Amino acid sequence: MKPNNAVTPVQLAVTIISTIIGVSILGIPNFVTEKVGTAAPLSSVLGVLMGGFGILAITLLGRRFPKQTLIGYNQEILGKKIGNFFSIIVILFFLTLMGVETRHFAEVIVGSLLPNTPISIAIFFMIFLCASVSFLSVSTFVYIHFFYLPFIIIPLLIILLPSIQNVTYYHLLPITGHDVSIRMLFSGGMNVTQAVSNFMVIAMLIPFMKNPQKCVKSGLWGYAIGSLFFIITITIALAVFGAEEMKHLLWPTLGLGKMVRIPGDVLSRVDAILLIAWIFAVFTTLFSYYFLYVRGVAELMRSSRYRLIAFLGFPFVFMVASLPQDIYEVYYYVLEVTLVGLIITIIYPVLLFILSIIRRQRGITE
Amino acid sequence: MSPIFKKSPTNKEGERFVPNSSIIQKAQTVYFTPNIKYNFELFTSILQKDADFLSKKFKVFGETPAVLICLKSLVDMEKIERDIIKQLQNKKHPDNSHTPITTYIMEDVLYYTAVETVKNLAAGIESLLAGKALVFIEGIEQAMALDVYTQEKRSIEQSETERVVRGPRDGFIESLQTNVALLRYRLPVPEFRVEQREVGTRTKTKIAICYLDDIVNPELLEEVRSRIDKIVIDRILDAGYIEHYIQDDVTSPFPQVQNSERPDRVVGNLLEGRVSILVDGSPFALIVPAIFVQFYQTSEDYNERWIITSAIRIIRLAALVFSLTFSSFYVTVLSFHPELIPATFVVAASSGRQGVPFPVVIEVLIMEIAMEILREATVRMPQQVGGALSIVGVLVVGQAAVQAGFVSPITVVIMALSTIGSFATPSYNVATAFRVLRFILIILAGTFGLLGLAVGIMLVLNHMLSLRSFGVPYMAPFSPGNYQELKDSFMRFPIQWTKERPKHLQPQDKKRVDNRKYNKRSGGEGNNET
Repeated sequence: MKPNNAVTPVQLAVTIISTIIGVSILGIPNFVTEKVGTAAPLSSVLGVLMGGFGILAITLLGRRFPKQTLIGYNQEILGKKIGNFFSIIVILFFLTLMGVETRHFAEVIVGSLLPNTPISIAIFFMIFLCASVSFLSVSTFVYIHFFYLPFIIIPLLIILLPSIQNVTYYHLLPITGHDVSIRMLFSGGMNVTQAVSNFMVIAMLIPFMKNPQKCVKSGLWGYAIGSLFFIITITIALAVFGAEEMKHLLWPTLGLGKMVRIPGDVLSRVDAILLIAWIFAVFTTLFSYYFLYVRGVAELMRSSRYRLIAFLGFPFVFMVASLPQDIYEVYYYVLEVTLVGLIITIIYPVLLFILSIIRRQRGITE
Repeated sequence: MSPIFKKSPTNKEGERFVPNSSIIQKAQTVYFTPNIKYNFELFTSILQKDADFLSKKFKVFGETPAVLICLKSLVDMEKIERDIIKQLQNKKHPDNSHTPITTYIMEDVLYYTAVETVKNLAAGIESLLAGKALVFIEGIEQAMALDVYTQEKRSIEQSETERVVRGPRDGFIESLQTNVALLRYRLPVPEFRVEQREVGTRTKTKIAICYLDDIVNPELLEEVRSRIDKIVIDRILDAGYIEHYIQDDVTSPFPQVQNSERPDRVVGNLLEGRVSILVDGSPFALIVPAIFVQFYQTSEDYNERWIITSAIRIIRLAALVFSLTFSSFYVTVLSFHPELIPATFVVAASSGRQGVPFPVVIEVLIMEIAMEILREATVRMPQQVGGALSIVGVLVVGQAAVQAGFVSPITVVIMALSTIGSFATPSYNVATAFRVLRFILIILAGTFGLLGLAVGIMLVLNHMLSLRSFGVPYMAPFSPGNYQELKDSFMRFPIQWTKERPKHLQPQDKKRVDNRKYNKRSGGEGNNET
């Protein structure tokens, strides 16, 4: 009889999708367009392809070491001390990223929903939500992702599909942008890569799969579908607003939501649905970061006191989230942190994978 | 391989100890003698104060003195007189026989099936308490225990908690034997098992674990057995006591064990691969494992047309979601985000609120509490007073409160909708869980608006997603998803299309209908008929 609680390939893909779709989906069209103008769709495709190396490396590593998590094969490939050092860096990075993105989330909530509420309330709620489930089992982690995905994707489609009737096609032209150098194209694409390359948590899930050999295919599918939503969102937002108008919109996706009308006038603002869906999306994303932290630290310390670890991470994330002064500083931090993140989420796994090939190491397979 | 149906290993197991009755313990070493007077006094010293203790002296075969003792509250007096005493007095012991007198009596005189001999006082008392009559005969140092147990029970009626329009009308009663008979009647197959256990150190309640041998997963069955064997308690007064001890998460507001008064429902679940636990003295059967979707399904769903049933199930689910979120959504919209709903609605709602002295959240909370008080009062009141109560409820809480400007009319409407929503749920226990959680959501929504509401709903959802009932994910088949099981979840597809048993139960026999067997049999029968 097969165990009930093993992670299936579909669940792995779903986890990647709901992790990728997160805080940044609201603002990403603005970021990219600001850099490359009408070349945004092209440049985001480039960015997604760059991120593809990361997911490929992570899943290939998972296939090579099917019984070990990131922490485990770090030790195996780099040696115990250096491996642990890098593991700690990865964990710290994701905690910091979580802090910054929580703040980003709180700024949007306070800016668009609750102007009179202190920002720390929104920060507290989000971290509390993540921490309150992060000490549970891997299967619960996957179930939560699986359950929320429809509530994230369907509202997103409700916003995106009707927006197509507002599209002005010349907003997309020229596809290569006005005087955009290759370097600029890549740097714009990098923004997208920064947004979609936060899938590292799957390195903690692959050993719990029934058949870890299948992780590469489902990982790539999950990444492709998740990042497709980014490309579509960027393209439609650009086609609706145009490059010039977009620069004045802090959250273009929310702007799309404001333009949609539902017949029957049940809700006067459809963007509220989008905001709730977005809260779900942010939760699943940050939950992935926090889960990586809890599981990672537990494995490093060889303990199973997940509750305690989850509790101890709380103040750190809260502190990081409280650091920036205003929304512009938040954006500055987000871009800086995720830029450093590219080294950790893409270059590092690729190097690790190459190193494991050179040293001819393989994990224990049954 | 990890254990499937087990609890998480962090749960501590209580140490097991069984306190024995001190009387029984002392009586273990007291043996009967050939002297019936001495034997008789052993019992009177313990039971003489009991009003239902009965003794009758008579002569076996008209010569040997004997005495019969029993507790008359537990036995069928007519049976004793007609089948025991009359037989023993009238028959004659053939003088030439070499068989001992007890063997002769047991084999030739009494045509009883349930006769046994007891030798010591402890066993004697226990069989008296189990509804047996003891017969002592002069010169014999053992007693015959004859089972003449009878019990008062009510007749089989339709269950009050799970009424149906179309479907069988019989419901369980308190007697375990009758309940098992109701199940046997529907399952005349040799694979149907009824394992008996005794729980409760003082009440000695009989419970029966029922399952189908070739369907149920053996690991699940073993887990059910071990959880029941671990129960240490002095009393089991209802199936609810068992439920408390075998559930996975004690701190959760959600029921993780299903209960039902309907034999057809229990049989349906047994056929899916679940295990049912019947408790003597309780008309409720427990069914494990339970998942969330079961709590808004009824047994009637399978009797009516599938399209209509599917629609009704969706309405029930919507009603449940309504009862949880509707009033808190109203609070958050009126107090934080009036721009979310069309302006005409806002005008209507806020003009109705003119003169209401409280903020919306307080108003809604007061009304919800009043509603809960009304509901509780209706349940507890004798039926004769019920009419007066509904008048008070309608007039005072509804109309008068609105006219006095105490609450706005729209609040009353919202309240009524959310309350009716919770009444539309077939399972009382899951409806109450949502009703209690509703209060937390109202407070969250009233303080932090849409964010508070979203966070509250997510906390509830996350909790439900983390729940397990005997290792089965509570939110199956939504998460982890399973297409086959979705056919019988918030929808009900035609029974012909749902050929597989739920996968999360991992039954031994995965298919409800084996196609090959089915075709062969129906083909053969078809030929005979034509």
